[in-house]
Amino acid sequence: MKGLKADGSPYQVMSVDDSPITRKMIKKALEPEGFAIIGEAGNGKEAVELYAKIKPDIITMDVTMPIMDGLDAALAIKKINPAQKIIMLSAMSDNDILADAHARGIDDFCSKPFKPEEIVSRVLEVLQR
Amino acid sequence: MDLNRHMPIFIKATVNVFKEMLDLSVSSGQVENEGEGFISQGFTVMVGFCGGWRGWFFLDMSQATALKLTEILIGEQYATVAEEEVLLSGAEIGNIISGNAITGVNNSQPGLNIRLTPPSVFAGEEMSLYNVRLNAHSVIMQTEAGVIKINVVAEEGKG
Repeated sequence: MKGLKADGSPYQVMSVDDSPITRKMIKKALEPEGFAIIGEAGNGKEAVELYAKIKPDIITMDVTMPIMDGLDAALAIKKINPAQKIIMLSAMSDNDILADAHARGIDDFCSKPFKPEEIVSRVLEVLQR
Repeated sequence: MDLNRHMPIFIKATVNVFKEMLDLSVSSGQVENEGEGFISQGFTVMVGFCGGWRGWFFLDMSQATALKLTEILIGEQYATVAEEEVLLSGAEIGNIISGNAITGVNNSQPGLNIRLTPPSVFAGEEMSLYNVRLNAHSVIMQTEAGVIKINVVAEEGKG
């Protein structure tokens, strides 16, 4: 089980995406490997509010969302905890967006669509840095 | 703006997304000038552009094809396209195709900074979709889940 820490407890994940279908796909990819999805949010504002309550090990964050986008939410979370691990997931990954994500200290950027094994390996790679 | 030049980017994005996301192969027909409107096959996803381009991307298919794609994507069967999961699955497929395509356009023409609007989904029989004063290009594509059509209508935006 790749999603378990050395002490046997699961890595805790917060999934942020305005598409419930993508959140479901992330859950289906990560949970069988032992990761625990401990919180979900449908926009950046919800994500920042939820983050303060649950403090996950890692966050998967969509870019384009209503109310507050993922880049602004990631910046707000990094201000609370600069060490927080965040992976952006987006269908849009042009050079401007990648540069913006890099400037905000995002740990990794994964383009949609993704295969289940790809998201598992990206999450693990970031967690183990 | 020459949409004929950009249609291959949308075709490539559709082929790639169907392969990567749904494990379906797609064979593409020829790009056609479709004029200002078209009749939906029964299920249409629309994603808007703004910024350096203004316009829309349409992903059109039959309701049977939409149900099949949903089943492949999330592993659950639904009886009708009125189910929220079917509408959301179609929206996400259309969103990812248009996002991949616009990423290619933005990277090939720095400064355009095109961004997408959230997708809308229309389901029903005999729907006519009409773009006032804008010309569309479309491509019919054959997949193992049925026939799909992509339709792109765009003009240069005002930023």
